[in-house]
This record gives sequence, structure tokens and C-alpha cells, in this order.
Amino acid sequence: MTAGITDTKQCKKNVDTMVCLMSRDILPVLPNRIREMVTELPGDILDQVEEIRLRQGKPLLVGLNDRDVIVTPLGQMTTVPEFGYTVTDKDLMRALQLISSSSVYAFEEEIRNGFITVRGGHRVGISGKVIVDKGRVRTFKYITGLNIRVAREITGVADRVVSYLLNAETGDVYHTLIISPPRCGKTTLLRDIIRQLSCGIPKLGFGGCTVGVVDERSEIAGCYYGVPQKDVGIRTDVLDGCPKAEGMMMLIRSMGPALIAADEIGKPEDATAVEEALNAGIKLLTTAHGKDREEIAQRPVLKYIIEQGIFERLIILGRSRGVGTVEDIIDCKNSGSLIYNNRTGRAVTDRENINE
Amino acid sequence: MVLKLIGACMTLGACGSMGLVWAGVHEKRPRQLTALEGALQLLETEITYGATPLPEAMEQVAGRCDPQAAGLFMMTAREFAKMGGVTAAEAWERALGRFFPATALDETDLNILIRFGASLGISDRQDQAKHLKLAMNQLKAAAGRAEAEARKNSNIFKYLGFLGGMLLVLILY
Repeated sequence: MTAGITDTKQCKKNVDTMVCLMSRDILPVLPNRIREMVTELPGDILDQVEEIRLRQGKPLLVGLNDRDVIVTPLGQMTTVPEFGYTVTDKDLMRALQLISSSSVYAFEEEIRNGFITVRGGHRVGISGKVIVDKGRVRTFKYITGLNIRVAREITGVADRVVSYLLNAETGDVYHTLIISPPRCGKTTLLRDIIRQLSCGIPKLGFGGCTVGVVDERSEIAGCYYGVPQKDVGIRTDVLDGCPKAEGMMMLIRSMGPALIAADEIGKPEDATAVEEALNAGIKLLTTAHGKDREEIAQRPVLKYIIEQGIFERLIILGRSRGVGTVEDIIDCKNSGSLIYNNRTGRAVTDRENINE
Repeated sequence: MVLKLIGACMTLGACGSMGLVWAGVHEKRPRQLTALEGALQLLETEITYGATPLPEAMEQVAGRCDPQAAGLFMMTAREFAKMGGVTAAEAWERALGRFFPATALDETDLNILIRFGASLGISDRQDQAKHLKLAMNQLKAAAGRAEAEARKNSNIFKYLGFLGGMLLVLILY
């Protein structure tokens, strides 16, 4: 499942945690019938499950790393849609109730955003007929599609990167921007950097710092009832589901972070919050969608922030050696010189390959 | 003669207390309905203001509401805790199945509660509030009717008990 894992012992460990992950987090939110079918799947398939898709009137699909399989009512795999188990509206209704512990009303805001986070930090995407009120999504009238996405946590992906983010002389963290196309392991890398900086890195003599995370889309910490389900370190405070700009201000005011981390900045109000954080002497760790520096510079807000010369380090992710390859790390303060380059010589180990 | 007198007193006492018990049952129903209505009021607060998830909300309500209604909410919370993939409606219905026989409620009351349970937890706050309001109004109306009935009937049952006892005594004497 992980491109870079060669050690069989580590594989074994991953498989074990995967099975326990399925039975602890995923199976309880499936309606009984579907739960039985999924349990019947062969073990090696279960280990690869990335998503389970329920679409009304369509066959039950289980998404694996690189393909998906149709599941029959007896829990066998097939490629013929007609043989698959047809998901009914009742299944969807039950699944939704199990996902929300029968309290759909408690997840209004989440449903409005199109997904609910369940125990373990797994996200369930929702589709169907939307009701709009004053130009804003109010709720779903009919929910006809659910996508249960199995979230796996990979620690250690930032091992090679963190040393570039620490100022050896002062022991400070650099202002860092991670640039990456979608699905290249941006959030996974961000999370692991947060974890390491928060816990401290004895190897580098870094004692750990207070980290404030504004987790607008509940992707970084995967909170369930406000408690982070992913390991984000011992000195980390998380504002779950909070708008970035507002959340950054809240953290500055009260939580005294040394570093603020947020996913995907880019809204106009984010720039103000970023400046506020800088004035308070707080370091910044954030991400942006994009292929490279040039592409990022075309987005007005990011362009402004980059022109201000705020970021000291840019990490550029890509897929040249599998998902999550660290392509470049750029030192912006030093006339934008490359301090790490994947293509030219610097050794790349498996650690740079982040799981999909 | 003395034996007969004692017998007559005992018959009268037994019939009279039977009448009182019957009357008591009729008086219990409106009180239980009001208790349930009050409990739903608490549940409404939990849902609309606190957006508390149901399993927790049920426990909260059970702890704070009238003891006559607490059992239902406690049992529902317990059904949830079993977590065999039950929905709110199923948990509620199972709890009702055990709660109902021990109460003075009748079939129409049971139907109000079952119908309310079917909508429990499946929609957003506004909609939940509507269903709660509807159930509360129905329970209130039922309680009103039960009250009037009880006032009328409890007296009848009380008299009926005593008079019946007296009749029996006269016949047997």
C-alpha cells in the first residue's frame, strides 16, 4: 500500500492496524447488510480499502489504491455491475443515521460543507439534493450518495524535510509554504511536520513548540467531537471547522502559539490574518494548491503574500517518484536558491514517498 | 353475628379499595402524559440549542426530567449504548416496548410516541423542533382529555367500589 515500504515487518504492522481500523471505525457506520458483505471480502482486499461508496440504486463499490471492485450480496468481488449488491434508499438512510449517531441535527454545519468526520478521523462525503436558503446551502433534502473514505495516518513522512525548516542558529522555525497539486500528500506532509515540531525533534536538538492549527476542513487533525483523531503532537491546539482568518486571530489572541498551521490559504481575509500573525512574531506553516512557484504567483492573495517576502521556505511536492515526492525545497531569503532538489543528485530515500 | 359483621366490613373494604385503585390508575395517566411532555421539552432544548447528539441528550433528559418519564429516556440511551447498528427510531421503539406496559398510558398515547420516534434524529434542527412541538401538543391534548376523563371516572370508580361492596354485603347478608 505504501510505495516506499520495503520492510516486511513494517508492512505487517500496517496490515494489522488496518484491520483493526476497519473493525473499530468503519464497520460500525455501515448498515448491517452492507457490513456483512464488506466483512466477507478477502483480507488482502480489506487491507487496501480506501473508500466505500454507497450510491442509491447503484452497485456497492469498494475503492482500492488503484481500482475499485463491485461487491455482491454474498460479499464476493465482481466486475459485472448487475451482480453487485444494489444499494437502497433505506441503506443510505441507515448509514447516515449510524454515521451521525442518529443525530443528523448535530452535524448541520458539517453536512452543509458536504462531509461528516467520524471516529478515527475518517471522512464521509455526502451527495444528493441540496436545499439552498439565501444563496447558501441549508441542508440536504435527499441524500443519495455516501463516500466513506478511510483515512490512514502515515507518520515519519516529514523526517527528511523538517531539518530544512529549522534555523540552526536561532532554533526558530522558518515561515513555510507547501506547494502541491491535489492528491500529492500535501496535508499528510503538513500533519507530520506539525506533529514533529510540536513533539520536538531530539535528533536536531529541537525541543518542540506550541502549535496552533486552524483546521477549517477537518483534514489535518480529523477531529471527532473536537478531539484530534490523528497524532498532531503534544503541544498542539486545534480549532476544528473554524474559518482560517478568524481562527488565526483567535489563536493569536488566546492560545499563544509559536507556530500557526493552516491548510490552503488564498482568501483575501487570509492575508490580513497572516500579517497579524507576523506582527505577533508567530511563525507560519501553510499550503497552497499549485504545480510550482510560478503558478502560485498568479493567484492574487498568494502573490501578495509571497511578494511581501514572508515565506522563508517553499516545499514543492509532486509525483515524479510516486505520490508525495518532495521535488524541491527553496530558500526564499537566499535569493530563491534551491537547497534541496529531487532531480539533481540529492539522494532521495523512500521516506519522501508519502502514501497516497 | 359478629363474624358476619366482620365479613361484611371486609367485603366493603375490599370493594371500596378496588374502586380507589381503579380511580388511581385513571388519575395516573394525565400525570404521566404531562411528565412525558415536560421531558420532550427538555429534549427540545438539548436538540435545538445544544445540538447535543441523541445518545447523550437522552441521558441528560433522563437525569433531569420527571421520574415518571425518566425510564423511557434511560432505556433509549441504553439501547444506543449497545450500538448494534440501531437507529434512533429503533432504539426509541424498543425502549417504548419495555416502558409502556408499566404505565397507565393507552394505545393512542403509545401511537403518538411511536410516530414521534420515527422522525427522531433524521433531520436538521428546525425540522426536529417541529416534530417535537407536534408531539408535545399531542401529548398535551391527550393529557387534557385524560384529566377530564379522570375527574369524571375516578369519582365513579370510587362510588362504584363502595356501592358494589354494599350491594354484595346486602345480597350475602
